[in-house]
Amino acid sequence: MELSSVATNGSSQTGGSKTAAAESRRQHAAAKHFQLVRYFSLASLVMFVLVALALTYFESQQSGFFKQVQKEEGDFFKKVQDDFSNQQDAAARRDLLTIHEAGNVNLTRLFANALWEKDFAPFVAKAQDIPVDHCRSITDLKDEKDGKLKPPPEKKACFSEVGKKIMAIKGFADLNSKVYDSMKKSTVFKIKVYDLRGITVYSSENAQIGEDKADNAGWIGAAKEGKAKSELVFRDKFSAFEGTVEKRDLIQSYLPVLQPGSDTIVSVFEIYSDVTPFLDQIKKTAAGIKKTATDNQAKVEQASATNQGKVEDFSTQTLIIVLALMLILFGALFVIVHRADAIIARQETEQQQAQQQLAQAEKMASLGQMVAGVAHQLNTPLAFTHSNVSMAMQAIDGYEKPLKLASGISALVKSAGADQISISLESLKAQASGIEESDLDASMPKEMLSDTLQGIEQMRELVENLRDFTRLDRNKTARFDLNKGLHNVIYIAKSVIPTRIQVVEEFGQLPLIECNVSQINQVFLNLINNAAQAIAGDGTITVRSRMEGNRVRVDVTDTGSGIAADALPHIWENYFTTTASGDGTGLGLPVARTIVEEHGGEISVTETSGAGTTFTVLLPAGA
Amino acid sequence: MSQTKGKVLCVDDEPNILRSLKWMLQKEFEVLTATSGQAGLMLVADHDFDVVISDQRMPGMMGSEFLREVRKRSPRSMRILLTGYSDLQAILRSVNESEVFRFISKPWKIDELPGVVAEAALIAKTQPVPAPIAEAEEAPATVATGVETVLLVDDDSSIFDMLCREVGEQVHVSFAHDLGEAVAAFDREAVGVIVAETRVKGIDMTRMLKLLKQEKPDIVTVVITDKTDAEEVISLINQGQVYRFIPKPVIPAMLKIVVNSARAKRTQLRNAPEIAHRHAVDKISEEARISLAKDIESASHAGGSGGGLMDRVTGGLGHLFGSR
Ligand SMILES: Nc1ncnc2c1ncn2[C@@H]1O[C@H](COP(=O)(O)OP(=O)(O)OP(=O)(O)O)[C@@H](O)[C@H]1O
Ligand SMILES: [Mg+2]
Repeated sequence: MELSSVATNGSSQTGGSKTAAAESRRQHAAAKHFQLVRYFSLASLVMFVLVALALTYFESQQSGFFKQVQKEEGDFFKKVQDDFSNQQDAAARRDLLTIHEAGNVNLTRLFANALWEKDFAPFVAKAQDIPVDHCRSITDLKDEKDGKLKPPPEKKACFSEVGKKIMAIKGFADLNSKVYDSMKKSTVFKIKVYDLRGITVYSSENAQIGEDKADNAGWIGAAKEGKAKSELVFRDKFSAFEGTVEKRDLIQSYLPVLQPGSDTIVSVFEIYSDVTPFLDQIKKTAAGIKKTATDNQAKVEQASATNQGKVEDFSTQTLIIVLALMLILFGALFVIVHRADAIIARQETEQQQAQQQLAQAEKMASLGQMVAGVAHQLNTPLAFTHSNVSMAMQAIDGYEKPLKLASGISALVKSAGADQISISLESLKAQASGIEESDLDASMPKEMLSDTLQGIEQMRELVENLRDFTRLDRNKTARFDLNKGLHNVIYIAKSVIPTRIQVVEEFGQLPLIECNVSQINQVFLNLINNAAQAIAGDGTITVRSRMEGNRVRVDVTDTGSGIAADALPHIWENYFTTTASGDGTGLGLPVARTIVEEHGGEISVTETSGAGTTFTVLLPAGA
Repeated sequence: MSQTKGKVLCVDDEPNILRSLKWMLQKEFEVLTATSGQAGLMLVADHDFDVVISDQRMPGMMGSEFLREVRKRSPRSMRILLTGYSDLQAILRSVNESEVFRFISKPWKIDELPGVVAEAALIAKTQPVPAPIAEAEEAPATVATGVETVLLVDDDSSIFDMLCREVGEQVHVSFAHDLGEAVAAFDREAVGVIVAETRVKGIDMTRMLKLLKQEKPDIVTVVITDKTDAEEVISLINQGQVYRFIPKPVIPAMLKIVVNSARAKRTQLRNAPEIAHRHAVDKISEEARISLAKDIESASHAGGSGGGLMDRVTGGLGHLFGSR
């Protein structure tokens, strides 16, 4: 009573936990499964993003580099253009100077030839005689603004006085007008003449006559070294022959005047000629060049901007294409992985189904075996009880006549008075004639029926065994007396294994163990069947049970052929069998191992030789 | 007790069974019992039994083994095997080794078993005992005198080739592909031994074999079995008195031994037809007879093209079911 309630409780609890464990195992497997797709998606998405970032970075880097290169190219180009235009400008100015210097030299020659002998030579000679040293002796004063030595006003006045003296020389006015006549309408704006002391003896701007230019570099170059020297100068206001002019580019030339027919320098000319139109031309050209250069620069910059844009567009396109391709790749891989996953899942379920079918097949096989065994066991008592009952009924049929006779007599006896019995022997004889002596033996039918009772007892015992054997044959566990189970299994197995094989039970004291009863029965049925199959002739199978530590140990030992060394590594494999084809499925041991391991136990071959084999099953007792 | 119908030995490891058998049979027969094969053999040495009944499954000596020994030591005793749960292998062995008269399955019927035992006892008392036939590779010389045919009924011609190779030199071998051809062959030739499969082209041959034995008890039948069940073998014995079973795949040497042994038996039966009574059969049912006739007809329709064949088949039928 108590035991059974414990069993139910225990079974439902542990059964629950066991199923839960199995469930979680399955789920675990399933989860593992899904993680394939999940991990793949995650990893490849991360990779995808990383690659996208890297690509973007490289692309931007590249476009930056390109920009840099473009800029450098642009700058270089600009510099080249600028250099070119500057050089061109400088060259033009230089050329202008050279040309005009040469022109001025020639002009001076011409002028000198025309005016020197007759007009200027005597005039210069006279002017040279006018003393200037007293003016020169007046010391220069330091200017307060720039700290340079500057002539004081008395000095300027002194030289101005000299100028007046020069202009007072006879023939000056004549000379002056001659110079004016010859220079009018020309590009020459001013002519100055210096004596060899550096004193201005003539200037078309008369106010300047008398000025001391001995310190002037141009005068020194021309007077002392005989070198012509020209310079481009710009004047805002300039008093020319025609009057005062404004904003003019002029070439100022200091030219030595040689004594005709000799190399002796007699005087120095200073000529200002107007080059404004030329310079304007040059400036215009320079501006044109500059404009062209700027235009070019703009074009280059525009082109580079366009290129940059193109490059950036292109890299964006590349990026988009690569990203799209990667997306497609990801999609394709995802589909493949997804399908692979589905296939794996399907295969797994198929495998599980196959495994279940295997177990089912094995179960059916042992069930069939059991049914056959039970049928045989049942058949013997059935045969004799059936026969006995039939015969007992025949015997009872035989009692009909004597009983009739007896009842007739007893009625007769009862109805008559005590002293007036008159039995008609004739009629009784007739009735008794059909009665045989053997029919009256009641002991035999009684024996038959008592045998029948025995037979029924045998059948009852069998049914009981059977009920124990298949007890709780649901996927449930129960607390179970393993020895009783083993006894049952042996009883069932005996009915199918050859009778020349003896089965010996050596059971030790065992606690109840928690297990799935029908599965554990199947394990031992498989082991005993294998043992029986290994025994060719007479032999013994010994089933031994005992405690070993906190585990229950069951040894199934046979006196059979043993397991061949080359078969030993394979016996636990599905479908491995050495029996003739069709006899064994080769599932017995693998199914047994699965069951034992599910119970947290171990199953192994502990001994095998030509003299026999021992299979050992260890099951946790506390479980 | 000289007025009993015969002396019967019952062997079973289960005493209840023995008692029950004894109660059933003791009115008509003198019944002795033994609880094992060994004990049974000791009784056989001391008594002359008309009928020996044995259970198949017993510890120690199996029923078929025991009956084989009985056949050796007391050839005139008729042998009956009781089978409860039995495997085919044991049944085939008992047929080939101990030539049992009947299989009786447990539980038996009390109104039938005594009848079978009585029939067996009568045969044992009245019919002569045949000389034992040696399972020799070479057939006895006496066989050569016959001009009879060994007929093979099989849809597998490789067995025909094998048969020709093994015994073709000593005896005429003919081959029937189906039921129709088999019937025609009976009409055409004097068939002494028939070797047949249980199924030929999907048609059950066992009915024909049973009927044949019923009508012509002196023809010896050999059956090649493949996936036959115990039930079929038992009915072939009880109703067809099949002489030998050959398991598939057929081994040439085995085929030769069995066919030669069958021919020797045939010779024995022909020389002393009364021996055939020892192989009396249970009658097959009327339905089986009718269904066989239908099959023969349809087989001849399917295979028959010439007009002559039909006549021959009909003739064969007449021959088989001979209204003699
Ligand atoms: N006690 C034993 N002695 C010798 N060999 C054994 C024993 N038990 C198992 N084997 C070997 O291991 C093989 C596999 O055993 P297993 O029970 O898995 O399959 P099987 O018995 O051949 O077929 P099944 O059990 O499905 O009918 C057997 O074919 C046999 O060769
Ligand atoms: Mg096995």
